[in-house]
Amino acid sequence: MKWTNGFCLICIFLCGTLSEGVNAQTEKLMKRADSLFDSGNYFEASIAYERVYFVAEVPLARITANLKKTQALKQLGEYEKAHGDLRRSLTYRGEDSLRLEVLYEMAICAYLGGDPDDAYGLLRQFRHLFGQGSGQRVYLLEGLALAELMQWDALSDHLENWVLNFSDDTGLADEKLQRFAEILTEKDQQARRDPEKARLWSALIPGSGQVYAGEAGWGLLNAFSQLASLGAFSAMALNGYYVAAVFAGLGPFQSFYFGGIRQAGLMAEAHEKSRREKTLAAVREFLFNLEEELGAE
Amino acid sequence: MTNLLFAVLLLLHMLPVYSSDTGNLFIATDRIVTHGHSEGVSGHDHIWHREMDFIRYLIGRGDYRESLFLLERVVPENNHQNDSLNYLTGWVYYQQKTLDLSARHLLQVSKESPVYHKSRFFAAYSLAHDGDAGRAGEVLELTDSGTDNLYHALQRLQLGGISLLERDYKRYRSHAADFSGNHHVTAAEEQRMEHHYAQLRDRRTASPFIAGMLSAAVPGLGKIYAGKSAEGVAGFLYVAALGLTAFDFYRGSGPDSVLFVLSASAAGAFYVGNIVGSVAAARRANQEFNYEMDQRILFDMHIPLRNAF
Repeated sequence: MKWTNGFCLICIFLCGTLSEGVNAQTEKLMKRADSLFDSGNYFEASIAYERVYFVAEVPLARITANLKKTQALKQLGEYEKAHGDLRRSLTYRGEDSLRLEVLYEMAICAYLGGDPDDAYGLLRQFRHLFGQGSGQRVYLLEGLALAELMQWDALSDHLENWVLNFSDDTGLADEKLQRFAEILTEKDQQARRDPEKARLWSALIPGSGQVYAGEAGWGLLNAFSQLASLGAFSAMALNGYYVAAVFAGLGPFQSFYFGGIRQAGLMAEAHEKSRREKTLAAVREFLFNLEEELGAE
Repeated sequence: MTNLLFAVLLLLHMLPVYSSDTGNLFIATDRIVTHGHSEGVSGHDHIWHREMDFIRYLIGRGDYRESLFLLERVVPENNHQNDSLNYLTGWVYYQQKTLDLSARHLLQVSKESPVYHKSRFFAAYSLAHDGDAGRAGEVLELTDSGTDNLYHALQRLQLGGISLLERDYKRYRSHAADFSGNHHVTAAEEQRMEHHYAQLRDRRTASPFIAGMLSAAVPGLGKIYAGKSAEGVAGFLYVAALGLTAFDFYRGSGPDSVLFVLSASAAGAFYVGNIVGSVAAARRANQEFNYEMDQRILFDMHIPLRNAF
């Protein structure tokens, strides 16, 4: 009995001492990693945080290290890696504030890494777990993700919820929705250019597809090239050079004709891309201003 | 009372260990001077092992840049540590496909190391993949495979593969004579190596001269001979179309007309271009075949290495 007690006491003592030792190590490592981060050595800081994650035995320390590592990786622009690392902490079942932070950081890394679809999915998960009572940053990120996905109706509903949750001014929601609709209309008024239509126009009237896509110079050049090759074909055929007319006249004509159709489509696509970018830039600016305005209230 | 005494003794015993541990934990990123070395991690086994464990963990995660960052800061104190350092550095470079640096580090692993054979085989493979088959062969010839059947089988297969990469069929036959087909790690690849050998031996190399001559006789025929049939037909059509156009102008306006001179010049340029293109196509076809065969040989050299280690 005496030896059993002794054995138990030693075990308890060893566990206590060891865990205390590991905790002290973790704490020291974390401080060092923090100082690396504060001094702007983000790459080294990311390694140091990973070391904390590796050494720590307490889930709280590991998730904290993981979250801090995310900040270092974000500074390095390694969003996909940060997103992957955070996935390790999804199973954490401790403090809600940390679970919330993991989901939010994953969403922001997905958004910054060019995957708004994933970001939006994670934010929906966030809402499901933590309800509507989330901070403005979540509303902003969700708005940005919706804008990137061009889901204008969903963004409009989202804006209404956002304003109503953060402002007592009931008229403000209507005002903001109206401003948002104005931005979309304003940008929408910049002529849309359907690539299919551009190709069709060019197939019917040479060069007209390019003019439709906003590139009149290229349209004229293409139309002139087609006319010139057709003229050469006619001139040669009229003078009895039938074989030459086919190869030296019709050959270049078909190249200019089909090339012109393809070029018109590409130009319309480029135009649409630029128009989309302008709309997105305007919506992003609007969302950032809204966050600032609601935060100031 | 005895229990208490036990506990106090244990406490006294444990304390110095913790203080030395925690005191040296940051040195990898800190480059602190320790144990008389200029910088980096060095010294005591437990610190060394902890650092190596962390580096291995990073390698396992695919964090190669981070692993190299730490490995560059490690200062080994003895041969064993030096071997571990070279092996891990070589392995990280291998994973990053920086094969020249991988081979350089792996070749520094000493014979006493438990990863000696792995290092030698992967160093040779890295050299072979990097285009230095001759040096890869030398490395393997100098590798002592001991009494292990696996190492012997691997060595024979690798040397056979290297001979094929060098297109030294006589040497290949001498290595292939030792292919036993008895070891499961190399049996399938030995068979495939024989197949590669047969393909290389029976391959009719496309002659650039013949390709050029054929295209001079019939435009495009040289490309068809080189195995580029579509290019050959297209080349023929272009030259024929321009030739017919020139003939049409010649028939209608005579040899002095501007249109004839222009179209005949264009046809001539395309005709000569087609001959030059056929010569290039024959060379390209040979290069493509050789490249594809090299890739297959390297693949069959690689698989047994990954299975064995």
